[in-house]
Formats: sequence, C-alpha cells, structure tokens
Amino acid sequence: MARVEVLLFAALREYIDGARSVEIEIQPDQTIEQVLLDLGVPLKQTRIIFRNNRAAAFSDRLQDGDRLGVFPAIGGG
Amino acid sequence: MAAIYRVDMSSLSVRKEEASEAYRDLGGRGLTSSIVADEVPGTCHPLSAENKLVIAPGILSGTGAPCSGRISVGAKSPLTGTIKESNAGGQGAIALATLGIKALVLEGAPVDGKFHRLMIDADGVRIEPADDLIGKGNYDTVAAQFEKFGDKIVCISIGQAGEMRCSAASIAVTDPDGRPTRHCGRGGLGAVMGSKGIKLIVMDPTGGQRPKPADAEAFKAGAKKFQAALSSHPLTGGGLAKLGTNALANVINEAGAYPTRNFSDGQFEGTEAISGERQHDVIIERGGKIGHACHRGCTIKCSRIYVDENGQYVTKGPEYETIWAHGADCGIDDLDAIAQMDRLDDDFGIDTIEAGATIGVAMEAGIIPFGDAQQAIGLLKEVGKGTALGRLIASGADVLGKAYGMSRIPTVKGQAMPAYDPRAAQGIGVTYATSTMGADHTAGYAIGANILGVGGSVDPLKPEGQVELSRGLQIATASIDASGLCLFVAFAVLDDPTAGEGVCEMLGGFYGREFSGDDFSALGKRVLTKERQFNAAAGFTAADDRLPDFFKSEKLAPHDVTFAVSDEDLDQLHDFVD
Ligand code: SF4
Repeated sequence: MARVEVLLFAALREYIDGARSVEIEIQPDQTIEQVLLDLGVPLKQTRIIFRNNRAAAFSDRLQDGDRLGVFPAIGGG
Repeated sequence: MAAIYRVDMSSLSVRKEEASEAYRDLGGRGLTSSIVADEVPGTCHPLSAENKLVIAPGILSGTGAPCSGRISVGAKSPLTGTIKESNAGGQGAIALATLGIKALVLEGAPVDGKFHRLMIDADGVRIEPADDLIGKGNYDTVAAQFEKFGDKIVCISIGQAGEMRCSAASIAVTDPDGRPTRHCGRGGLGAVMGSKGIKLIVMDPTGGQRPKPADAEAFKAGAKKFQAALSSHPLTGGGLAKLGTNALANVINEAGAYPTRNFSDGQFEGTEAISGERQHDVIIERGGKIGHACHRGCTIKCSRIYVDENGQYVTKGPEYETIWAHGADCGIDDLDAIAQMDRLDDDFGIDTIEAGATIGVAMEAGIIPFGDAQQAIGLLKEVGKGTALGRLIASGADVLGKAYGMSRIPTVKGQAMPAYDPRAAQGIGVTYATSTMGADHTAGYAIGANILGVGGSVDPLKPEGQVELSRGLQIATASIDASGLCLFVAFAVLDDPTAGEGVCEMLGGFYGREFSGDDFSALGKRVLTKERQFNAAAGFTAADDRLPDFFKSEKLAPHDVTFAVSDEDLDQLHDFVD
C-alpha cells in the first residue's frame, strides 16, 4: 500500500465533507483518475491538477508520499 | 458626438473640442495612450506642467454591454518613467460616457499650488476651489460630496498620497455604493492628479444620454451572444462571484509560484488562513457580501464586501493581489489585518500591490520584522501622517529599497511585481520584463496558460514558448483595455469562441460596420506601438526590458528554478512594432 495526501480546493471540498485534505491508502501506481473516482469527485469538475507541485494528468500514477492537489476552474488576477 | 474636454490648470480654463479623425474610434487605453504619446514629451518630468492626465471611458462603456464599465487613466508615470494606463471599475466610465465625454485631458499645473474640484454635469466642466478637502482621505472626501450633491454623483479622487505627489499614489473611483474602493492603482497616477492641483472630480450624470450604437440590432445580438458565453463559463458564470479573485491563492501556492517574504520562497505556510476559501467563509459567517459588482452592468461580480466581527463594513474584497501583497509577501496570515491595510491603502490613495510589496522590502530591510501584522499597519499609517517614512512607503518598493541600501527589490522599471513569482511562472516573467508599463500581470496574463489551464498550456518552469504566449496576450489585452471590458471576460474568451465573436459583434454594432477578430488584434497592436514609441522617446531601450538580477541567480523553492528566458528572446516580444 501507499499513502498519499489529497488536497481539494474551492467547490471540490464538498466531496471530502468540507475538509481541506485527506490522507488515503492506495495501491502503488494507482492513477490520479482512479483516486479521484474513489473519492467520488466528478472528473468533469476538475480542471487543474498538481502532483508534488507540478502539473499532472489523470493518467499519472501516484507513489507513496505523493501530494495531490486538485482544483476546479479557477481565475482571478 | 462625444467630446474631448481639455482642462488647463495653468489658466484654470476649460475647452471643449470634437475628437479628431484619429481618435474617433478609440476609447479607454487606446485613447489615453494615443493622446499621451502624441502630446506629452517623452522626456518631461511626470509631475511637471508638460505631463497630461487623460481619463477616458472604454469604447463600449455606457452602452449596456456586459462588464464594460472600465475607466482608463493615462499619463507619463512618476513611478516608472514610462507611459502608463491604469484602469479601474466603479461608476466613473459610465458617468463620463453618459455625459458625452470621450476623454478628459488635464493639462498644465496651477501657479498658486492650490487644490481644486472639477464639477462635471450636463452643463459642462467647471473648476472650483477644494481648500476644505486638503489633507482628507478618500473616504471622507467622497462622503462630503455625497452629502452636498446627493446620491446620483460619481467621484474620482486622490487621498493624502496623491496630494503629497508620492509615486505610488492611486486614483479612486466610487463604486455603486458610493465608496472610493475602485482604484487606478498602478504607476502613481494619483501623484500626477495631485501635481495638476485636482483633489477630485465630481460627476453628476443626470440629464445625460447613454451612448447609442450605430447599429442597435447588431449590437444587441452581439451583447446577447457575449452574455450567454459569460453565463455558461464556470468562472465568469459563477466561480468568480462565489470565491472572488482570491481563489487563486491556493492554486498559485500549490504551483510554487506564490511569492513569500519578499520573493524569497514560492510557497507560504499561512496560505490557507488567507485563501479565497477562508475569506468566503469569514464573509458569509459575518454577514458580508459575496458576488458584488464593482460597477452596474458587471455580470461576473468578483467583488465582495468584507465586514468585521460585528458585521460592520471594513473594505471591499480584498482582492487576490492585495491579500498576497500584505499577506504572503510580508509573511502575514491575518485576514482581518490585511483587510484593515486594504482600507488604509484605499483611504490614503496608494496602490495596494505597491504598498504591500514596499512593506515586504521594508521587512527585509529590518525596519519591522516579517510576519508582524500590527507593525505593518503602523508603518502604513505613517502615510496618512505624511512623515518621512510614510512618504517612502507611498513612493514604492524601489524608492524605499534604495533608501535602505537593499539589492533584492522585486521591481521592473520601478514598479513592484504582483503576486506571481516569475521563476515558477516564466510566462508572467516575460510580461513583467517587457510590458510597456513595468511589472504588471494584467498586461499579459500568462498565468492562464502557465498554471490555470486557460488559453492553452505552456510549462511554467521552462523558457520555451513564453515569449509567444506573452506577446499574444499583451496584444489581446491592449484591445480589451481599449474596449472598456473588464479583463476577466478573457477567461470566457479564451475558452469559448462565441465570447470573442460576441465582443467583435458588439464593437461592429457600435461602429456600424464589420469588425473582425483581425480588427480586434490590429487595435491592440496599434495601442502597443504607440506606447513603445513613447517609451523610446522617454529613453527606454531593450536593456530596460529585464528582470532584476536575483531572479536569474537565486533559485526559488520548491522547484529550485531561476528565470531562464534569454535576453535575445525577450527582445523579440515586440517584433510587430516598426
Ligand atoms: S469582474 Fe470584478 S473587477 Fe471586473 S468589472 Fe466585475 S466586479 Fe469589477
């Protein structure tokens, strides 16, 4: 098993009961897409994904100790 | 036919003239930059009688086009020495357009050094004494006008910083609630207004007429299409109203591009406490307001009303840039303290980005420690007292940094960088370096493609593709700034082709002729060309289009990157200018 920290932001926080982040156990090499689906996050609502502060894609695989940050569409300036 | 009013403060006289052929189609930044480039000597002192302060509503302001109430103010900047256009929301653009005013050109300087009020109504423009307002902040200044002239008026004013002609002084525009919260912040144009001896402009649009599009049907169809695109986009159709611009704090921090403690780190440990999510919860808990429009007719509504624990009004927003400047950049994680500083900035009339960045440099200089919110508030209050230290704060990061012998000063052409570290978002670094205005994120918002997944995708940590990205954005932005539309419409325009079509159809309907996407970018190129020509006349060369050295030598955590776009590539940015 691998432990990863998942941080959800803005409207996506409702899928983890308003919390900022959750630590979860996953199978090593699980994709970001699978992790999000397991958490009940609709993929269509996600727009910006970071794995360890770098832009990532749904198909990227997570490793033990990874930090996943997921946002819906965000703008401002 | 909309007129240009010239107010000569040397002779205290007003002249009305018809816009010349060259200016007839222009508005907003297109008009302010053209008049400044055509009439102001590049080498003049920005606070001299030779400089001109030009105030213009956007092309579409007042027509009822969604989100079109931006007002542009232009001059030679005392902060940067370059040409400057600074724009804001508020009710000013709609009031000017309703009074049939295409531009106000404030010229000369009063021989007696006194301050005046410009009264503008359906009868024209009058110059009146304003001795009773000297030394007052923007809040008291405008409150006295509403009391005197009723609630239909709109005010454009300066606070103490503008009166002192400090180079980070802003110009305030009142919002629909009559508060002086919308600022033409960047570039110290409040100091130019102060040098003209104008404390405030009061406009009463009663009896005026909204500008009419030449082809009302085509205009209406374009506006409908545009609004439909805005409404269906997740950001312009609700996201920005809910969380405001400060929703960015967590994203930019997660990307490692959130400048912390005077640009010494890319992530701030206190981000969550000052994030848009937290700000939203605090505002809702206390009975403030989200989804506030800074001018009537804005349907995106990114503004908000921040209240204290007793539900009493403190300030608008604050916006992402302001919260970052007084927050992460100063190591401060106290949202209430930041809101208090935003209020002080608006009242004294200083640019919130410059003010926060200057306090960050003051902290690095050891004047006060990083993270000390109360001492930061104390430092800012010096501005209102007009002390020597207060004047340094109100003159910006470059001036204060030099006075304290600092070498790490995050400015380009004298203007402080906003809330994105150019090492971890290299596209915005290109914009900072090459913009005609000094370090300015709005001039070409590469954060969209670098980080937010809007308008394409360009790796933020690599130099490749950044110049092309920034060039395209700088051209499109110059067009948007001329139109009077709020730049935030770009989130929809970049994602949905019908939004851009709607914009062109509105402009075509307004002019009564075809207006294509090519016409739109030609407008932006025309504006940038004028601005580059002015800067060349003012003595700027390619050597000025650079970031400070420490961005090329100091690695930024967490990505351990330096700014890597080459000087040769930066020099290609304006390849469309002859
Ligand atoms: S989107 Fe925000 S900044 Fe733009 S016009 Fe609307 S309220 Fe003002």
